[in-house]
Amino acid sequence: MRNLIIFSFLLISVSGISQTQYEQGMRKAFDLWQGDKPWEAANLFERIANAEPDNWLPAFYIAQINIINSFSEKDPEKLNAQLNKAQEFLNSAKALSPNNPEVLVLEAQWYTAWVVFDGQKYGMQYAGKVAEIYQKAMKLAPENPRVVLGKTEWDMGTARYFGQPIDGYCEELKRAVTLFDSFTPEGEFHPQGGKEYAEKVVASTCN
Amino acid sequence: MQHPSLNVPYTILLFLIMGFLPILALGQTIVSGTVTEANGMPILGANVYLEGTYDGASTTEQGGFSFETTATGVQVLVVSFLSFETFTMAADVSQLQDLTIKLREDVNSLDTVTISAGTLEASDNSKVSVLKPLDVVTTASALGDFVGALQTLPGTTTVAEDGRLFVRGGDAGETQIFIDGIRVFTPYTPTTNNIPTRGRYSPFLFDGITFSTGGYSAEYGQALSSVLLLNTIDEPDQEKTEISLMTVGGGLGNTQKWEKSSLSVNATYINLAPYIAAFPDRNDWQKPFEGYAGETVFRHKLKNGLFKLYAAFDGTDFELTQEDIDLPEGLDFKLNNKNFYTNASYSADLGLNWKLFGGGSFTYATTKLGIVDSDIKDTESSAHIKVKLRKRFSNRVKLSFGAEQFLTDFKEDFKDPAFAESYGFQNNIAALFTEWDLIFSRKFAVKLGLRGEYSALFDDVTVSPRFSVAYKTGKNSQLSLAYGDFFQQPNSDVLKFETNLEARKTQHYILNYQYTADNRIFRAEAYRKQYSSLITYDTDFTQPDSNFTNDGDGFAQGIDIFWRDNKSIKNVDYWVSYSLLDTERTYQNFPVAATPSFANTHNVSVVGKYWIDAWRSQVGFSHQFGSGRSFTDPNEPGFLQKKTRDFHSTSFNWAYLISQQQILYFSVNNVFAFNNVNGYQYASTPNANGVFDRRALTPAADQFFFIGFFWTISEDGSDNQLDNL
Repeated sequence: MRNLIIFSFLLISVSGISQTQYEQGMRKAFDLWQGDKPWEAANLFERIANAEPDNWLPAFYIAQINIINSFSEKDPEKLNAQLNKAQEFLNSAKALSPNNPEVLVLEAQWYTAWVVFDGQKYGMQYAGKVAEIYQKAMKLAPENPRVVLGKTEWDMGTARYFGQPIDGYCEELKRAVTLFDSFTPEGEFHPQGGKEYAEKVVASTCN
Repeated sequence: MQHPSLNVPYTILLFLIMGFLPILALGQTIVSGTVTEANGMPILGANVYLEGTYDGASTTEQGGFSFETTATGVQVLVVSFLSFETFTMAADVSQLQDLTIKLREDVNSLDTVTISAGTLEASDNSKVSVLKPLDVVTTASALGDFVGALQTLPGTTTVAEDGRLFVRGGDAGETQIFIDGIRVFTPYTPTTNNIPTRGRYSPFLFDGITFSTGGYSAEYGQALSSVLLLNTIDEPDQEKTEISLMTVGGGLGNTQKWEKSSLSVNATYINLAPYIAAFPDRNDWQKPFEGYAGETVFRHKLKNGLFKLYAAFDGTDFELTQEDIDLPEGLDFKLNNKNFYTNASYSADLGLNWKLFGGGSFTYATTKLGIVDSDIKDTESSAHIKVKLRKRFSNRVKLSFGAEQFLTDFKEDFKDPAFAESYGFQNNIAALFTEWDLIFSRKFAVKLGLRGEYSALFDDVTVSPRFSVAYKTGKNSQLSLAYGDFFQQPNSDVLKFETNLEARKTQHYILNYQYTADNRIFRAEAYRKQYSSLITYDTDFTQPDSNFTNDGDGFAQGIDIFWRDNKSIKNVDYWVSYSLLDTERTYQNFPVAATPSFANTHNVSVVGKYWIDAWRSQVGFSHQFGSGRSFTDPNEPGFLQKKTRDFHSTSFNWAYLISQQQILYFSVNNVFAFNNVNGYQYASTPNANGVFDRRALTPAADQFFFIGFFWTISEDGSDNQLDNL
């Protein structure tokens, strides 16, 4: 019995040692990201994407880092460069994994970043596009928490803008929070975050 | 089962050795160096790695990098950083130490110089765009006509009674319009004296408009003054149905999308009868203006390309009696026009940075005119075929070349009680063009082009060089220079009577200064245009017995200024255009060089838009000013020696978003009802006192009101969604 325990310990530590370069790289990239070094994480994801040309995940995260950091970017030249970079990797994620609801949500966020940057210029131009992408994602994955959250937030923003009541959206936001609990990601590195943010949105909307 | 206790550490050791063995056995090489900008400034955060491996690092504040690799032999080192060109080098790993790498700036980035001489862009993607596509529908004076919106830009002249584009001392026929790079032969709805025309095509079909007032690319020919390039949308956003109800008619549109294709269909019907019944104008309409149009766009995505097919059919019908100084009972005029236009294009990525574009258009138009008791029937069939190849050698060096063919067959039947005749011409032009784009740095770029045309009708070859250069003078400012030769064949009103002529010619010299920063644009452009080989004739109008020559010439010079700002005042977007024009020419039946009546000296447009968030409304106004235009007073010696009074018109519009999908639109043109005079018509014979009487040519109506309701129904409308929750 004792040997069995030792043996199984060994197996774990061995698999720890010989974890693939891919796993090692991805874990390190997420650590960097969580350690508030998003650009170093993006660089590492880019190296992984380069070594794993058939995997959509690293490309997805490069695009995501560039998009998330565009929401607060005010310099048009930098914003343009970041969103162009994001688009390049978004396109490769789309090509590697077509009809993927996670990628669709990210694409909707790409357009939203432009709308946030200059609503007067891009609002009317991209609103229809964003709505259509969420619509498509919703058809593909009606129970995906990030799809439900993104779509509801967008619809709610639109309703708020047009002075329509937003009470109806609260239920849907709460449903998104519960969906995070029941959601099982396909793998360790697949998108799975967003619950905390969803709870924040619920807290600020549903009073 | 008993195992010796010694076995356990042994196993661990074994595993450990096995686990580390490959690494220990291969050993590691260190790759290191520094990354800087061209001027030696270190770059922080650049991504340095060996291609196809996991080995790499980000550069430090000093630009340094160092990482270990297990790779051996020849490897490719990649260095990438936002806004810089990606650097690669292949070398044996052992050589990759203490490297000094200088990254070159990416000339695709936003702050690279652009060749802007002569070019005004309206698009969402362009680096420097003076107008946005939405401006076409939100500019107060434009009434949804893209030509109307362009008339608020510098370089254009206010010719209110015509409605077409008059650019830098050129007449309306000197501007050519292209849809997706393919020529439109009959871009305007035909009309009569004093009733302005409109562009035929719906502004909602286009997502990019480039308006060049001179010095344009060698790809475009047969235009002496200007080209207007319209690009149709590649992929519509969503499936939708659009309904519009207007005081002058209605429209219905539908867009369907599939996996790879999309289809948009659009129909419009315009009838001015109710409007004219409510607000009678100065004409006596027997049959008020009636127009119908159907348009369709089909787009299909292929593996590496895109196919687009555009087809439009429209008809116009009206009959009226207009005042005329020589005819006390008025001049009877009726018109019936039918126009079919189709345009197909294919663009593809051929790989290795080659791009192919091929396309063609076909126009068939018939116009039946009745003027007093003469009947005129015109039939025009025209086609344009074009093939273009583009090779990108690098971000800095691009080459394009192509060939095109224009075919026109024009016939006219003229009949009045005393006389009947048919005449026409066939005009085939073949052309070759090539252009180099050379970007030396973010600061300096050159475009070199050459165009050759062969006219079968004249059996003559023309060669036009084009050249432009741009230099960045500061972070936000640049200077551009352009030169070009431009040829255009005489218009059909000449060619139908005489074909023993040659092409007309202009030379453009343009100097442009542009400043762009923070949603503000300032442009100033000075130009000189030299006209030669213009057509002259010796009769009042072109007619079969006129003597035509190519002996005309002229010049146009001036300064165009443009300022747009949507930053300084919150929620306000405004622009101001000023054009100064000095032009004279000898052409048509001019006895001496004179300023034609369509060209005036000063033109000013001010357009403002104010977004009121609380009302979900955009209110807009525009003011157009044009100094007096020349006319000939036969009671005094001289030719085109007098000027009309100045032109003023202020327009106002209000767009209210009822919901995301419903817009209510209201506009008034010439709010203050200025009495504008576009010119004078003098009697052909003097009265009893020996004086030629005259009549002011005024607009048919001083003001125009418009109310429209636009409703877009799409599947994902948030209204519907709200109900579902």
